[in-house]
Amino acid sequence: MSTAPAPHRPSARVQLAAVFRKEVGQTIRDRRVMFLLMVAPLVQTVVFGFAVDFDVDRVPTLVADGDRSSESRSHARRLLADGTLAPAGSAGSVAEAERAIDRGEAAAALVLPRGLGADLAAGRPATVQVLLDGTDPNRATVAGAAASRYFGDLGERMARERLAARGMPEPARIDLVPRIAYNPELRSPPFMVPGIAAMLLVIVTTLTSAMGLAREREMGTLEQVLVTPLRPLLLLVGKMAPFVVIGLVDVMLLVGLGTWLFDIPIRGSPAVFLAATLLYLMTTLGVGLLISTVSATQQQAFLGGFLFAMPAIILSGVMTPIRAMPEWLQLVTRLNPLRYFVEVMRGVLLRGAGFGDLWPQLAALAVLGAVILAVATSRFHKRLA
Amino acid sequence: MRERLRRSLVRVGAMAAKETQHVLRDPRTLYMSLGMPVVLLFLFGYGLSFDLDRIPVAVEDRDHTEQSRSLLDALTASGELEAVAGAEAGAAEALFRRGEALAALVVPEGYADDLSNRRGTRVQLLVDGADAVVANQVLSKADALVRAEARRLLGPDLADVAPPIQVRVFTLYNPEGRSAVFMVPGLAVYLLAITAVLLTALTIAGEWERGSMEQLFASPVGRLEIVLGKLLPYLVLGILELQLVVAFGAVAFDLPIRGNGLLLFAFGAMFLVGMLGQGLLVSVVARNQLVATQAGALSALLPSLLLSGMVFPIENMPAVLQALSRVVPARYLVHALRGILLKGNGLDVLWPDLVALVVFAFAVIVLATARFQRRLA
Repeated sequence: MSTAPAPHRPSARVQLAAVFRKEVGQTIRDRRVMFLLMVAPLVQTVVFGFAVDFDVDRVPTLVADGDRSSESRSHARRLLADGTLAPAGSAGSVAEAERAIDRGEAAAALVLPRGLGADLAAGRPATVQVLLDGTDPNRATVAGAAASRYFGDLGERMARERLAARGMPEPARIDLVPRIAYNPELRSPPFMVPGIAAMLLVIVTTLTSAMGLAREREMGTLEQVLVTPLRPLLLLVGKMAPFVVIGLVDVMLLVGLGTWLFDIPIRGSPAVFLAATLLYLMTTLGVGLLISTVSATQQQAFLGGFLFAMPAIILSGVMTPIRAMPEWLQLVTRLNPLRYFVEVMRGVLLRGAGFGDLWPQLAALAVLGAVILAVATSRFHKRLA
Repeated sequence: MRERLRRSLVRVGAMAAKETQHVLRDPRTLYMSLGMPVVLLFLFGYGLSFDLDRIPVAVEDRDHTEQSRSLLDALTASGELEAVAGAEAGAAEALFRRGEALAALVVPEGYADDLSNRRGTRVQLLVDGADAVVANQVLSKADALVRAEARRLLGPDLADVAPPIQVRVFTLYNPEGRSAVFMVPGLAVYLLAITAVLLTALTIAGEWERGSMEQLFASPVGRLEIVLGKLLPYLVLGILELQLVVAFGAVAFDLPIRGNGLLLFAFGAMFLVGMLGQGLLVSVVARNQLVATQAGALSALLPSLLLSGMVFPIENMPAVLQALSRVVPARYLVHALRGILLKGNGLDVLWPDLVALVVFAFAVIVLATARFQRRLA
């Protein structure tokens, strides 16, 4: 026979299990929140995986053919058939072509001068003009390069033919033989989808945890729980637990979906990937906690979360390469956990990288996570004390 | 009738004045709508660029001759490519995995012999294809540099048989191809979407959550007047923000303003009305701030960022997404702002965008008001 035990504080394990059960249960029961945390990232990954494509092809191009010879027509046709440029009609003059670009009916115009065919046949120098719509610099650069390459090749070919016709020996040629590793078709989704997943994870974890805690503060429920025998640190761990679970499930779903829908390979070590995900969640949840401690209302927590998330996304290399940023901004990106997580994801999935290649990123995530969590926890304690 | 309208306007004005005080008293909201645009503009203007220079390329010279060294010098002289040592014997992929090189170039043994014997020679380039945009840049830059070197070597041979065909490229609107000029109009749209949808959704969802909306309804102010009064300050804030972004863009990034400034604000105001309506709709459907944020981000922010043509070209998207982008109002404003600012377009070109914005605003306000009425019934 046992007697009733004296009232005492339950062990940390029991406390933790209780908080965990309550928090996870509460989160799962809120259908709308669950929908937003689980289904929304999936839908977004699918939509944006298809949306994000930087390939420049089929640039609508006008032809202003001042020559109207069979030669000029054949050059225009061959240049517009290579895939980068696509025919969008013809213009009578340069001014007309410029007006069409103004109105957005074409993004480029090829201007062939009068006498082009005759000049080429006679071996006289010739000049062709290309007008480009510069509002999208990337597209303009690619379209301009396509035209330059075509006429460069044409000039070289004609020179060689002429040399051969004169019975002179053919000059040597240097061929650049490119081979593309990891992604031979140069598709955008394998690179972008991991980035999008990392981006969505910030929004799901940082914003939701910051706002969730701010909401409890608004309603005063945090203080109520604190009068129970629960230790504040365990309460905190319990509050974060559902987000860690949701984050992990989200990552697995997103990667699974990516491999299935976008043929994203998983070439490297899943263990490194998992470790990086946990460390990354530690940083994003730490930031969420930190934000909640400096916010009195949900609205403020949201603004704070947003203030963190936007620069973190821009400075992560998800959308544009970090190497293209100015040097001082590249230094700032070293404080960005998103940057390291994206590098690990892309390294593991696409390049087959392992711990030996990615330990600097993992170390950076661990340090950032530890610092952020330490600051956030001490602020949390202070707020409650 | 006129008297009723006048009184109604007074009540709307009073609501707006109260809401304005709320906004003014909360420095965070003001920061969000006026300080953050400047910060983001700064980051976008400098941070979002695709132009790479000093691309690290691992080089391996198997020939060790004057000619092979001259090829490598020619490749790295412009600063577009930068030589990194250590491409020997299949180590290139290890460099790729650590992000220390983006391409590896191998000059074959016998390169100089081949050139002097007028044989073809093959220079191999292995490119890290993970990032397609970067890989394409590496490919086209290396290709252009190798061609230039070939032409330099063959120059004397070719020049007397065939004069060159020159291609003159004129880039309109943005001759230097600066990313900032491309990004700033898109960013302005994005910031307006944030202010309009999220701030209103949060404010109104907050009133529902605290139950103060019902208290407001008990006052003699009409329901429509409450909504109008609440939205009005954000409309003003949004227009201020648009001015701020355009002015800052013009000062910091030399963003040209070639078209009509008034037209710019007409488009901006129409877009804001639609987005405020969407914020109202989100708040009515979501009922609390947490859900309202996520729903607002999902329905307004991400589409405005990804489906508007602001960063990612719409022409490249699959047909389904192109169709979907037609109901994203940001798409029309991005197109219109670029037209007005960069090209100097007028209404004769941009009227379809204005029509689309008006239709969206009308539809979303009708929908929001209907849900709002039902919510109260």
